[in-house]
Amino acid sequence: MNAAPAPSSADWKLPSPRKLGIISLIVAESALFTIFVVAYLFYINKSLSGPLPKDVLEFPLLSSLALFSSSATIFIAEKFLRVGKRAGFLLWWGLTIALGLYFLYCTGREWSHLIVEKDLTICTNVFGTTFYSLVGLHAFHVIVGVLLLAGIWISSLHNALLTGHVEHVESISYYWHFVDCIWIIVLTVVYVLSVQATP
Amino acid sequence: MNNEPRNPHKVEIPQPTGWPIISAFGLTLGFAGLVTNLAITIIGVGVCIAGLVGWFLDVFPRPKHIHVPVSEPPGPQRSARSIEYLKIGERGHRMRLPVEVPPLMAGVKGGIAGAIVMAALACLWGHLKYNSIWFPVNLLSAAAVSSLAEAGASSLSQFNTTGLVVAIISHGAISIMIGLLYITLLPMLPANFQWFWGGIMTPLIWSGFLFATIRFVDPTLAQHVDWPWFIGCQIAFGMVCGYIVFKEGKVETMQSLSLAARLGIEAPEKNQ
Amino acid sequence: MANDTIFNANDQRPELEPVGYETGSLTGVFQELVFTVDHKKLGLMYIGSALLFFVVAGLLASLMRIQLAIPGNTFLPPDVFNQSFTMHGTTMVFLVGMPMAFGFANYLVPLMIGARDMAFPRLNAFGFWVFFFSGFLLYFSYIGAPGLYAAGSAPDVGWFAYSPLTSSAFSRGHSTDYWTLSLMLGGIGSVATAINILVTVFCLRCPGMTLGKLPVFVWCMLVMAFLVILAVPCLSACQIMITLDRYLGAKFFDTQAGGDAVLWQHFFWIFGHPEVYILIMPAFAITSEIIPVFSRKPIFGYPVMVAAVISIAFISLGVWAHHMFCVGMVSLANAFFVTSTLLVAIPTGIKIFNWLATMHGGKLRFELPLIFCIAFLFQFLIAGLTGVMLAVAPFDWQLSDSYFVVAHFHYILIGGLLFTIFAGIYYWYPKALGKMPHFKLGLYHFAFFTIGFHLTFLPQHFLGFLGMPRRIYTYQAERGWDEWNLISTIGVAFQAVGIVFFVANLIYSFRRGKKAGDDPWDAWSLEWTTTSPPPEYNFATLPVVKSRRPLWDAKHPDDPDWKHE
Repeated sequence: MNAAPAPSSADWKLPSPRKLGIISLIVAESALFTIFVVAYLFYINKSLSGPLPKDVLEFPLLSSLALFSSSATIFIAEKFLRVGKRAGFLLWWGLTIALGLYFLYCTGREWSHLIVEKDLTICTNVFGTTFYSLVGLHAFHVIVGVLLLAGIWISSLHNALLTGHVEHVESISYYWHFVDCIWIIVLTVVYVLSVQATP
Repeated sequence: MNNEPRNPHKVEIPQPTGWPIISAFGLTLGFAGLVTNLAITIIGVGVCIAGLVGWFLDVFPRPKHIHVPVSEPPGPQRSARSIEYLKIGERGHRMRLPVEVPPLMAGVKGGIAGAIVMAALACLWGHLKYNSIWFPVNLLSAAAVSSLAEAGASSLSQFNTTGLVVAIISHGAISIMIGLLYITLLPMLPANFQWFWGGIMTPLIWSGFLFATIRFVDPTLAQHVDWPWFIGCQIAFGMVCGYIVFKEGKVETMQSLSLAARLGIEAPEKNQ
Repeated sequence: MANDTIFNANDQRPELEPVGYETGSLTGVFQELVFTVDHKKLGLMYIGSALLFFVVAGLLASLMRIQLAIPGNTFLPPDVFNQSFTMHGTTMVFLVGMPMAFGFANYLVPLMIGARDMAFPRLNAFGFWVFFFSGFLLYFSYIGAPGLYAAGSAPDVGWFAYSPLTSSAFSRGHSTDYWTLSLMLGGIGSVATAINILVTVFCLRCPGMTLGKLPVFVWCMLVMAFLVILAVPCLSACQIMITLDRYLGAKFFDTQAGGDAVLWQHFFWIFGHPEVYILIMPAFAITSEIIPVFSRKPIFGYPVMVAAVISIAFISLGVWAHHMFCVGMVSLANAFFVTSTLLVAIPTGIKIFNWLATMHGGKLRFELPLIFCIAFLFQFLIAGLTGVMLAVAPFDWQLSDSYFVVAHFHYILIGGLLFTIFAGIYYWYPKALGKMPHFKLGLYHFAFFTIGFHLTFLPQHFLGFLGMPRRIYTYQAERGWDEWNLISTIGVAFQAVGIVFFVANLIYSFRRGKKAGDDPWDAWSLEWTTTSPPPEYNFATLPVVKSRRPLWDAKHPDDPDWKHE
């Protein structure tokens, strides 16, 4: 290589900081979740007293469907954003928030049911400990996600979004998809694996 | 950042702001409250939220910037030093690589030839001392064949098929490996007295190594071995192997070429 | 809706004028430090506060050494001794090692890749302040933790806080909570800063600075940031777990309820081992810059050096249980972790050989940075060899938790990391402050500190062989430990004198040092193209890079590097 061409700044392309930032955050969060998931898996069937997953857990079909479909609605909202249609964006983005809130409502109802009727708290046994911490950690991420989504929705309502903000919106949607993916894992581990593994 | 003019008079830098420290302080209070008093946590969360809101308003809708006037400093000066390149082989040049080495096959040939001479000498020793050419063969294979390891001197003198096969394989493999070692080693040894380094010093070092370890590898061999003969065999191997490797001539290595040339992507450039 | 466009076209941005600080006055400086988002100031603040915590943790270590100088000493009561080693370890790892790395990365990475600032300057300030406050929270435990009923104390469970020591039954009051919460807080700051470094390297490189042309320093810092992002959340997860255990009565590590104390060890070391490599990365980074410049040769085997760093990082994610050979894992696990740990020696060995090959045949200039780096090479080699010994499970069964281990990791963290930190501070001191460090004072610093370091830690290898366990607050006479312990303590005095010379040098050179000029060491990377100290905007015009040694190209236009690469 004898002649290194002088790179001109026009064809010097670099990744977007915001997207890479959010991806790095997702990697960090995955590490956090990994530990909790491993703890849950490790403690399956290690509880010395009841209640056990099989006795108390019901498959959260509706709330899971809501959360999974929110990934689709946010995708549609982004399409509207790219073509610059405000009404469609507000509608679908708002729907995403509503689905997230519905998921949180379902989680809240499930928890109160477990605590009040089934007598399962975080200090009942290791199942309660790992269950509440894993599902609670995920719920906390949903709350943060809903707050971020709401922030975008309100800014858009006040007509404050600029063309440069597409990246911000996209990175928040990355985060939301991540929260969804984590739910797939939590759902499999908590509501399928551990329920079936209980003797 | 990319579409910035080449010679700006002013540069945009982020405006200094106090909101990050306020958020950080609020967060700290939030944690500190857990070990002191929950009221502190509540205050901390409040401060943290206030900090985050202030931060948000700092960057939304556009990050706040200030402009700093630029003074163009004098660029890097052309160095007063001139450059000279070391040539390959010159003192201080780090590429003390062999520019040419014996070919791979020379090592294999040398190893095999050395192995034959060494085996012949060993058998001669067996014949003279125990009146059996199979004795050294069995001694060598005793490292792997347990029935031989436990056998006495008389049965070691008997012909043993397993012993012969094991001995040929191990002796051949080790010899070829040492032959290959020779083609790597010989070019790096001092150019004068190569016969001494390759034919005497290396076998001596190898014998010393075996002297120290043979007890663990092959106790039977250690028990019966005759060291002067043994070292003699090693030296014979070294002489023969070294001679053949030396006689085969050398091929050029590509160590001094660039990576691209070595990979065959570019034609090699001749060094001036 | 009348207007169905989403974007506000009215995109005016206000021009803000520079905020005027009272320059020169104390309040002005204070304001500047509190409000700044400049990566250079934050970098120096990181390094400064890390040095502050270093002195504090060093004092704690000196107290412990005084206690152990003679058998049966009563200088420190046992509980204070426990607090001292816990606080010493925690401080050195989380408040000295990591901030030091972040400080160097913050100051140098944008300068080396030709950027104006970090990718997220405000997040950068946030990360720094979180770290800073978390340090205060940790040390507040000395005042706050005893509480009303004097039930607590400063954390005293060791820096890896093994369960069940941390359960509320065995650790009364809030002492462990201070450890947990302040490190969790610091973890948030660390991850924020690490993300910032990673994004900066990938997204803000100046034109031509491809990944293959990044200085090795930047590569090491990139890998460090990656490890922080992967490892520190694991620690946070552990800490959330013990916080839940202690506050809400969760059962994670409660063996009475089926919990598992060994799980804590696994989880902690999944973080803890990559953490060790996070700490040593700055050493690799700094050495890889200094040795070529002071040998007047480009670094030997650049791609291999980078590959070695990356493979060290990957291997380090799979070696954690070598800290736990003594808990009695199945032999398959032992074999796996022995093998993976021994594997680390390969890339590390490659790095040492490449540094040596860089120096070989070079025209060495024995300035302060190179002197410290050469000491690093020797000491890191010793540390690496004792590391290979400890990696072998049967050997570890004999010497785990003995002073041999203490000596091993102090050879890494002091002989390896701290020496290169000193080298780095001397090397970039002229860039950051515009003045040359004083050579003679630096030489005294080197002499005293090196002698003291070896006096202190070499005998600890022998103490380990003689069976002295770590973390004991006293011992009986006539066990053969007396002389070695005394020598070890005497070494501390030498180290302290060395540190005094170091601090004196920093202050003296700042006041009286020679003016440095832009490029005092005749170096090759981009930070030396700008003024010393660099202006707020770093570069008047963004540089364009054509080779791994851009400043060499500028200084030698007749024979630039890109003709050869």
